[in-house]
Amino acid sequence: MRAILLVAGAVFRESVRDRVPYSMVLFAVLLMAASYLISQMTAGQDLKIIKDLGLASIAVFGLLIAVFIGIGLVSKEVERKSVYALLSKPISRPQFILGKFLGLVLTLVVNIGAMTAAFYAVLLYMNIVNPNLQIAAPAPSLDPRLLIAIGLILAELMVVTAVALFFSTFSSPLLATVLTLGLWVAGHFNADLRNFESVIDNPAAAWIALVAYYALPNLAPFDVKAEVVHGVPVTLRHVGLTLTYAVLYTGVLLTAAIAVFRRRDFK
Amino acid sequence: MAAIETENLTKDYLVGFWRRKPYRALDSLTLTVESGEVFGFLGPNGAGKSTTLKLLMQLIYPSSGSARILGKPVGDVEVRRRIGFLAENPYYYDYLTAEEVLTYFARLFGLPAADVARRVSSILDDVGIGAERRMKLRSFSKGMLQRVGLAQALINDPEIVFLDEPMSGLDPLGRRHVRDVILRLRARGATVFFSSHILSDAETLCSRVGIMAQGRMVASGRVSEMVAFDLKGWELTVSKVSDGLRDALEPRVQAIHSLTHGRYTIQIGADHKPEELMTELAARGASVESLNPLRDTLEDYFVKQIAAANPRETARL
Amino acid sequence: MTAGRIAPSNGLLYLAMAALLVLAVVAQAVRDRGWQPYEPPSDVMWIQSGPLADRLALSFDNLTADLYWMRVVVYYGGQRRSAVAARNYDQLFPLLDLVTSLDPQFRIAYRFGSIFLAEPPPGGPGRVDQAIQLLEKGLERDPKRWEYALDIGFVYYWWVGDYAKAAEWFRRAGDIPGAAEWLAPLAAVTLAEGGNRESSRRLWTELRDRGDLDWIKRTASHRLQQLDAMDAIDELNHSTQRFAARHGRPPADWRELAAAERWRGIPLDPSAEPFVLDPQTGRVGLSPKSGLWPLPDGSSVRARP
Repeated sequence: MRAILLVAGAVFRESVRDRVPYSMVLFAVLLMAASYLISQMTAGQDLKIIKDLGLASIAVFGLLIAVFIGIGLVSKEVERKSVYALLSKPISRPQFILGKFLGLVLTLVVNIGAMTAAFYAVLLYMNIVNPNLQIAAPAPSLDPRLLIAIGLILAELMVVTAVALFFSTFSSPLLATVLTLGLWVAGHFNADLRNFESVIDNPAAAWIALVAYYALPNLAPFDVKAEVVHGVPVTLRHVGLTLTYAVLYTGVLLTAAIAVFRRRDFK
Repeated sequence: MAAIETENLTKDYLVGFWRRKPYRALDSLTLTVESGEVFGFLGPNGAGKSTTLKLLMQLIYPSSGSARILGKPVGDVEVRRRIGFLAENPYYYDYLTAEEVLTYFARLFGLPAADVARRVSSILDDVGIGAERRMKLRSFSKGMLQRVGLAQALINDPEIVFLDEPMSGLDPLGRRHVRDVILRLRARGATVFFSSHILSDAETLCSRVGIMAQGRMVASGRVSEMVAFDLKGWELTVSKVSDGLRDALEPRVQAIHSLTHGRYTIQIGADHKPEELMTELAARGASVESLNPLRDTLEDYFVKQIAAANPRETARL
Repeated sequence: MTAGRIAPSNGLLYLAMAALLVLAVVAQAVRDRGWQPYEPPSDVMWIQSGPLADRLALSFDNLTADLYWMRVVVYYGGQRRSAVAARNYDQLFPLLDLVTSLDPQFRIAYRFGSIFLAEPPPGGPGRVDQAIQLLEKGLERDPKRWEYALDIGFVYYWWVGDYAKAAEWFRRAGDIPGAAEWLAPLAAVTLAEGGNRESSRRLWTELRDRGDLDWIKRTASHRLQQLDAMDAIDELNHSTQRFAARHGRPPADWRELAAAERWRGIPLDPSAEPFVLDPQTGRVGLSPKSGLWPLPDGSSVRARP
């Protein structure tokens, strides 16, 4: 357990000294500030646009952090051979993988936290400058329900991190990036697979679509941004089951990563 | 209980993209290293030395055969508390400082928190890293990285130390330093297993050596047993030799090299008696500064063994 | 890849993976039972303008058109899957407009797009005007495509019931070089006899045999079966009239008529449901329980408004 925490700490420390997360957070904050300016130009849609853009920034930049750091987690160490020194210490290969994962999740929590703080700062500013805006809106400016959306984004990113980690245990950084992003896209179209049923009618294709729907990560239910912005309630049941799914699916991916990493030859 | 034991350790790779052919990197290595020995693992590139070290560290898995360290199968996590490993051309984390890297590793060993700082500090002193210890590894030269490498291999005061080409790429000062570390380890009673090209050091440091070629161990044993005691000849260093004397000597000796004006080294075969030459030199007014016997070096032995294993290979050397 | 190795066995891990995946699937299934993806009231389509999308897609127009076409299919399918009250086809025309702006040659988008648009509620938005608009756009871009003219004629024929316009479009279609030979006679028949069953049959057969989307094929087969049922009803009405003429009253039930006409069983419609016989009037009709119900209005082929 101690070994896992030590590796996690090392990952976090590396991310703190890495330029990538800072750039991402900076871009997100800039975008949120810009959204305030943009909102001045669209009559009556101000609050919606700020919220939409803010949530989208958090989702996109969070994704970039998860993918780009996640890919490097293992492949960089193996490429540069620092893994030789590490694995000759009293740490098992599974502990190594779990430590890397935990470290990146911690990094994400901190970075997303920073972006969320900036987000609420912009909303607060909006609220102070123009408090009448939220009267006509379906949800208040400083809506705590935004946190639900952000929480689910974080859970989604946890799954993406596990995907990135899994691919990085055996493929090159470039291939792993492509595969992870591809799986993320597929994960968002996954829910649409169910809608194909009523238009396409080939039984074999329908069966394949069903298997794909369950086997591939289903990421669309993590996206409650539209509901939250329009003030539509998100049930506890939905959040709870989706989080459960996230934890279980992440478990599958981490187990797979450990299985691959355990048997690997480091030439 | 032997420190290190292997039994028919074999590693095959599949080489090529389409028609994959098996390539035997290590062929049935059976080897025992006792506690307290300094074992030199020698051989040209591609002989299987790194492969063996990686198998012992369980960085790769064997195709067949087995290996044990301190009586436990290789890969036992607890045993790793008692060993140290230095890889060839090591890289650590260039965004960390030397202190931070060693602290990280020290904590992995489970050293109590209070001791960690002290141990890190003293090991850095031991390997000769001073104020640079607070600089990021990014800015370290190869020699300094090697020292950090040694430090991380020794920080847990290991019973066995594994070193893969510890002196490669170092300047003479660096190499001397590594030698000293190994000697200190030997004095302390630790077991040292190191691979190297640099045979002259192996000669002086090792109690036993093993010579690898093309994946097989072609020879092993005590250094003294392997190097013939047969005398090859003598080498004299003389001064105050006049030109006339030198011209007279030249046809009678194996070789004569000029050092500075009047100073020469003279080589004679084993069949000559050096005393006769020395008397003659003294009679002619020259002065003998030193007399050294010339024997087969480990390098000569090495080349002979490799040639026997692969005649074509040595023809190219 | 290496040749056989002595490495730790991952058996337990694979077992754990399978178990966790099963649990994940269960969690998903339980959650999905109460969840539909949320489609906000007026979904803001960020890129409304065709030319803008064209520029944004850089040189990947056709690919982008394909992606948007998939979006059309998913959107349409998704709406049809939702509860009737919640269905909203507002985005259908804008999406189709976008697809055809990105790729003006995208035949399927025009043809099936118009079918989706014309389909009356609750199966579709029932926007014949948009359907015609889409097809006219296609024809304008590519005047050699007689199929678009045929489709416009079809919309007038089947959905609007304007036979004069339908005939005019069939004629125009027939005038385009390379068009099918039966278009000119079809135009003539349509003009002469209005909603003639034969022309309808011909049109639906054409759709069924096109073979692109199974859904279209099914709809066409369904319509053809309805036409068959209508033919059968006509025949049966003749039989009941014969019976009435002979016995002075309509048959009381099918068995009476079957005995009189020496049939082996009672008549079934193409969906294997018995027809309905009104003993008062002797008129035969389709059973409301039939899969083909409701028929497009008796013997005159006219769609519901």
